[in-house]
Amino acid sequence: MFNLRFFTITILFAFLLVSCQKEKEPAAVNATEKPAPRGTIVAFGDSLTAGYGVPETDAYPAQLERRLNQAGYKWRVVNAGISGETSTGALARVEWILKLAPDIVVLETGANDGLRGQPPELTRKNIERIVTALQAKNVVVVLAGMQMLTNMGSPYRDKFVAIYPRVAKERKLILVPFFLDKVAGEENLNLSDGIHPNPQGYAIVTETIFPYVLQAIKLKTGS
Amino acid sequence: MVNARFLLRQVTGAKRQCTVFVLCVALSMITLVSLGSFRESVESSLLRDAQSLHAADIIIKSHSPVPPGLERKLAALRDRREITSARFWEFYSVVQKPSADASLLCNIKVVEPGYPFYGSVRLASGRPFEKVLAPGSLVVEQALLDRLRLKIGDPLMIGNAVLTVKDVVVQEPDRPVNFFALGPRVFVAAADRATLALIGKGSRVEHVTLVKVTDPPRLERIASELRAATGNDGRVRVETYKNAGSRVKRFFDNLLFFLNLSGIFTLLLSGFGIQSTLFALLKEQERTIAVMKALGARSRFIIGHFLGLTLILGLLGTVAGLAGSFALQRYLPALFSGLIPAQVTLQVSTSAILQGMAIGLLVVLLFTALPLYRLKEVKPRAIFGKEDTAALWNRSTWIIASLGALFFLSMVLIRLRDLKTGLYFMLSLVSLILISYLLAWVTLHFLKRSQPKNLALRQALKGLFRPHNASLSIMVTLSAAFAVIFAINLVEKNLNATFIESFPPGAPNVFFIDIQPGQRDAFARMIGPGGAFYPIVKGNVTAVNEIPIDQAQERKSRGDNLAREMNLTYREYLLPDERIESGETLFRKDWTEPQVSVLDTVVKMHDMKVGDRVSFRVQGLPITARVSSVRTRTSSGFSPFFYFVFPDSVLSQAPQTFFAAVRVDKAGISALQNRVVSAFPNVSVIDLTETVTVFGKIMLRLSSIVRFFTSFSVIAGVLIIISSVFATRYARIQEAVYFTILGARRAFVLKVFAAENLVLGLVSGVIALLISQLGSLIICRKGLDMTYEPYLGESLLLLLATTLLVMFVGLAVALPILYQKPVAFLREQSEE
Repeated sequence: MFNLRFFTITILFAFLLVSCQKEKEPAAVNATEKPAPRGTIVAFGDSLTAGYGVPETDAYPAQLERRLNQAGYKWRVVNAGISGETSTGALARVEWILKLAPDIVVLETGANDGLRGQPPELTRKNIERIVTALQAKNVVVVLAGMQMLTNMGSPYRDKFVAIYPRVAKERKLILVPFFLDKVAGEENLNLSDGIHPNPQGYAIVTETIFPYVLQAIKLKTGS
Repeated sequence: MVNARFLLRQVTGAKRQCTVFVLCVALSMITLVSLGSFRESVESSLLRDAQSLHAADIIIKSHSPVPPGLERKLAALRDRREITSARFWEFYSVVQKPSADASLLCNIKVVEPGYPFYGSVRLASGRPFEKVLAPGSLVVEQALLDRLRLKIGDPLMIGNAVLTVKDVVVQEPDRPVNFFALGPRVFVAAADRATLALIGKGSRVEHVTLVKVTDPPRLERIASELRAATGNDGRVRVETYKNAGSRVKRFFDNLLFFLNLSGIFTLLLSGFGIQSTLFALLKEQERTIAVMKALGARSRFIIGHFLGLTLILGLLGTVAGLAGSFALQRYLPALFSGLIPAQVTLQVSTSAILQGMAIGLLVVLLFTALPLYRLKEVKPRAIFGKEDTAALWNRSTWIIASLGALFFLSMVLIRLRDLKTGLYFMLSLVSLILISYLLAWVTLHFLKRSQPKNLALRQALKGLFRPHNASLSIMVTLSAAFAVIFAINLVEKNLNATFIESFPPGAPNVFFIDIQPGQRDAFARMIGPGGAFYPIVKGNVTAVNEIPIDQAQERKSRGDNLAREMNLTYREYLLPDERIESGETLFRKDWTEPQVSVLDTVVKMHDMKVGDRVSFRVQGLPITARVSSVRTRTSSGFSPFFYFVFPDSVLSQAPQTFFAAVRVDKAGISALQNRVVSAFPNVSVIDLTETVTVFGKIMLRLSSIVRFFTSFSVIAGVLIIISSVFATRYARIQEAVYFTILGARRAFVLKVFAAENLVLGLVSGVIALLISQLGSLIICRKGLDMTYEPYLGESLLLLLATTLLVMFVGLAVALPILYQKPVAFLREQSEE
């Protein structure tokens, strides 16, 4: 069950384990041909953004950048996901995120709050404060809506799920209704842990959020 | 034809040597039989512990329902009554009071009747778990009642069901191996599973099937059938209690290995004892043998007679040993009250007796072969005390030595059931004797040339080189035997340090994760002094020496790998359980570029050394740091450890969270959790009290077992050595008499003897120390895969103790002679 050398800290953060930062596209060959990106999108989130358990090129930020490029949008997508991070942790590093000078932030946080049974009210307040900080720097925020696991019980789930539409409405954010739409609970689209998408799952996630990101780009560029 | 009167005369003529020989055999018998019986009891007790830690023989785990193929296989096995099985489902859920005014994240376990197959769930009321957990009931941890302010009999809402709290769980057998829990335990009966409506699509639930095998020897076969029935579905894990990896299991394995090793070591010690006493006995008989040869007796006849003598003495020793084992058995249970579970019957087992007798006989034959064989070389002119010493290593000696090696190899193979370990053991045994021989020879060579001013010391040294002396063989025997004793001690100390002392009574039991930098000070004030904080910065390793990490390749690694996100930290000091393995200091003052200290585990994952450059990406920011040191951990407890440690200057400004480890009294945990949750709702609490306690208890129990075995083999070994020193000292008595006749005073003779024994003891001790340090290092690092501490202070004490032991035993033999009139001794000699 547990390995001696792979212990305390790693295990204590058992479901928060692995993430991969997005590697920039292998730029050497194409660098001269590629036009400079027109803007920066920061994927700000937890393990679902970081890409727990999959190669970094398969996590959604990398797939999104490729999808945008294919569609003619030369935007850079930075993977700023940290596995295991709660909304409180995300709030603590907003300043760090702002150093990346994002035009658009896809904010995906709160899942770990839910997995740890933290009060939904706390999560909501944290997200609001993050949004406030981002909007103050003129960043367009795409908020990824989240559901909660069935096993957490319906009273808790209902309160948790209601956070995202409420914040989006109050702060006039672009809301992805459910980040893991058509992926959550599908055995063949998730890793064996049942909660983190595999590369095929991330392809669907990318398609899910793509139109909302386009909407954000349009809003940002005014086109 | 063996002449009975001749044998009888030999026995009565050399009473002392014969007694020592019988004593050696008896001691080795006691050790073999008692250790054998006890080992069997302990082994079964340990396996039982391992079974109850997993609550079953076979454990099937998955995050989804069992695949149909496996389900069919389970049903078929159940129908054939080859197994019984029970399922449970484990998951987190937020439970709440029906009034909805308080809720809490709990660790739910929905169990079918039959759980657990081994061990038991202990309840506060003392009632049987299976009776209490009826449909509609809950059994919860006390922490839940404290935190939700509930009492027994109150309703609680879990999922869609409102169930009644019936009892409090005090101990759960399989908790230590599944110890990671963010909330208190709640047991629900499987009959209520559907009403909960928590398990289904969109749930994260661990589905576990526990299997009890009807016929234990078929365990592995059934497990592999079940594995085959999963249809290679990697999501389903089928493990047995024997191979389910766990820290406790690893310790069990190491302990059994150690027990087997100490058994073989003890056998070896007995062999040394038997051989040296027989050498001494036969040395005494040289003249008799020479006379027999002069009268026409053939070697075969003489060897036959002495073999007969040996076997008679061996038989006497065996009988005495068995009697001793039975006597000891009366005291063993008292010695181990509380150590061995009540159901384990501690008795001298027939198999242990038979095994002990067979092995004992073999040891006697083996170790007497060489001394007996060498009778051939006694020439009739030995009557005049002028025979030449035959070359020690002729063909026959090699044959006997090879037979001996083969015997020990088969012993090791039987005990350890592993050819590689067996060969390593043999190799080390041969090296042990060769190195002892070589070092003893070199030392004697050096001593022969030295000319100390002190007369007594000079005489003592001369004594070592008198004609037909046995100094070299005594030294080899003593060094090898002491090396074994020292090594047993050193290995035990290291086992203790790595496993048992990792769970000291004051070890942290409550861990807080996700403390934000801004909360740290207020949090520290709340938990009071004694809390340890560890900053955690998430980051990835991107390259080593500018060669990018091959993500796909890394992920294929069976163990941990560098492709995953790492928890980095920063500090300027080593933790108490850390040691620098290579590099001078944690960080180098003379380097200006960023530095990082890596744990030895990382070096095993990916080749790197001090001076290499490792590139990281810390939340978007690239950092390349030079490896300043490689650290290793000296304990395996619940203390946090980090693969990569940076100096403050490199990471302290990066986004980070804190992890805190605190020791809290059991009674105060719930109150502290309530305070933390209301002041810092984002901080999660992991309460390992029960796990820490259970581990602590198991480790303590095992530590006593280890200590018993160590002291048993050490005491037996020391006794055997005493007897062999006793035997070989006899020759010196003659010298004492001559000194006295020549007019030396008692004090001088005493000084000479003391000095001679001191030199023998000291040289053997030093040689033993060198060999044992090297041997223990190899055993700990390679055999047990743990760190090694040399324990120099203790080793020097051991050296002192053994030197004094040899000196005093040697003197004890000579002392009575000094108080006798020399003439009495001479008369005795001539009568013989």
